[in-house]
Amino acid sequence: MSLLGMSPALLAGTATGAQEQKPHATSASSSSRDFVAGKITAVNPKGTPPPIQLIPMAPRLDTLDGKTVYLVDTGFHGSDVLLGQVQAWFNRNMPSVVTVFRRKAGPYMEDDPNLWKEIQAKGNAAIMAVGH
Amino acid sequence: MGIPSAPLVTKAFKDLALLNAAKRGMPHERICFTPHPVWGKTPEEVRVYVEGPDPVTGKPFMREVVDALTVPLSEEDKKVGNLSVSVGPATFTDTADNLQEFYLNNGYTDFLPIIVPTEQRVDQMLKATSHHPDDVVGKMAAGAYPAWSYNVRQVAANAVMAGCRPEYFPIVLAIASSGMASLFSSTNSFAFAMVINGPIRDKLEFNYGIGALGPFAQPNATIGRAWTILSKNLGNGGIPGDTYLGSLGNNLNYNNVVIAEHEDASPWVPFHVQKGFKKEENVVSLFRGLGVVPGQVARGSSANENVQFDYQMSDLFSTFTGFFGALIIADPLVAARLKEQGYDTKEKLIDWLYKNTRQTVKDYKSRNYAYLFDYPRALRGDEPWATWYKLPDDAVIPHFPRASDFNIVVAGGQTNAYPQAGNLSYGVSVSVDKWT
Repeated sequence: MSLLGMSPALLAGTATGAQEQKPHATSASSSSRDFVAGKITAVNPKGTPPPIQLIPMAPRLDTLDGKTVYLVDTGFHGSDVLLGQVQAWFNRNMPSVVTVFRRKAGPYMEDDPNLWKEIQAKGNAAIMAVGH
Repeated sequence: MGIPSAPLVTKAFKDLALLNAAKRGMPHERICFTPHPVWGKTPEEVRVYVEGPDPVTGKPFMREVVDALTVPLSEEDKKVGNLSVSVGPATFTDTADNLQEFYLNNGYTDFLPIIVPTEQRVDQMLKATSHHPDDVVGKMAAGAYPAWSYNVRQVAANAVMAGCRPEYFPIVLAIASSGMASLFSSTNSFAFAMVINGPIRDKLEFNYGIGALGPFAQPNATIGRAWTILSKNLGNGGIPGDTYLGSLGNNLNYNNVVIAEHEDASPWVPFHVQKGFKKEENVVSLFRGLGVVPGQVARGSSANENVQFDYQMSDLFSTFTGFFGALIIADPLVAARLKEQGYDTKEKLIDWLYKNTRQTVKDYKSRNYAYLFDYPRALRGDEPWATWYKLPDDAVIPHFPRASDFNIVVAGGQTNAYPQAGNLSYGVSVSVDKWT
């Protein structure tokens, strides 16, 4: 499979049989530029990916005892059933954990900033299920 | 949010979830996996998943969930900064055969042979536009990731690969500038279409007569193909399991549905004029949806007299998802008959179709898209869905939420009188002339 949208060959910095050449590096005419010793030079058709901005993960909790954990249903099929069983597991096995079930507002692909604010204000952790 | 979180994902989406987290800057996000699917399972069946192992790590699933929220972070987890991403060198040099193989093996193609985009061929393509090769054309996100950007030269390489002649290049640039990819990450195997309007249809010899939607003319074939190839390369789309999740896939993705409107044989104004352009302007309009069905399957399609194309079309739409719109592709014989019946404008036909294509609330609620998209909107109070969800099951409502969900174009060779209909939504119209 590809990684980060690139082929493993390219990530490794080598192309299968193909050799890197800077674009327009020679002063030869187009025709001679394209046919050197039976070889031709072709343009990389890939677009330009944005840099990846690393985001530090939020500090973890020492324990879940007595903490409030939001269970967020994104609306995909089965998410509600899965989170219902996660909630039941906490009730059976870690009853000191307070669980709050919320269905994210709007279709799955839309943001719900109001819910994120509520979780930040009232929750200690969140579990989000995407189902399917 | 600044508080610990744990996403739960089914195993089928492991690669997607891990790559998505990495590309969005959290390569060590603690994702917990259940067996796939949870959709359609009973609570008792899902309880077995929750009490069983994570199928990726083999560890107890709920142990993974609790650990995700409580195990202290490593130094790697706390890292900040930017990572640059390389897509390789600007050019490759090798024999023609090796390059053909290299482009194929690295996922640059649609797995059909390509025209290798030599610098000479790309230079020829670039001569067909006044824009500088380094000019930024746009951004595209074919998957669920941040958009990639691209310039005129990069678009030209893709146009060459698809077999486009240089004179087609302004249309390809217009498509690329829209930022709309023809490959989409949904599990639902989307299809895409484009409508070409203006004098360029004749100048480039598009086929809008017999076999208008078939493989019978170079611009129809290659410009449609270019949209898919550039969606792969410029928008990073079409990587199965990563940026493409369509379960069955869609054969239309090879070169999309390319419709040059038969403006001279149409009794109505051309599509681009409806969208505010002048008739003499050259415009490409893009659509997205699920596919195209033939009019031959409609109820009433065997009528020998008093043929009612409006009823036939309405019947075709009965299985369409209302999440997307309806694009009617009317053969000129169909369009002429509709005009005889009083539909002297596209708007009159659309108004009839909107008002007469209906369904019961019970049927509506049983549809997948209603649950996934409309029900959440109804809960939020968005109209018309909020009202529809309050109605009794036997109430009758429109099949599509808005009249603007319908669009009509005319194409075909008048060898028989059937329309085709796409469950396709209009996206955007782009001037081709701006890219000459």
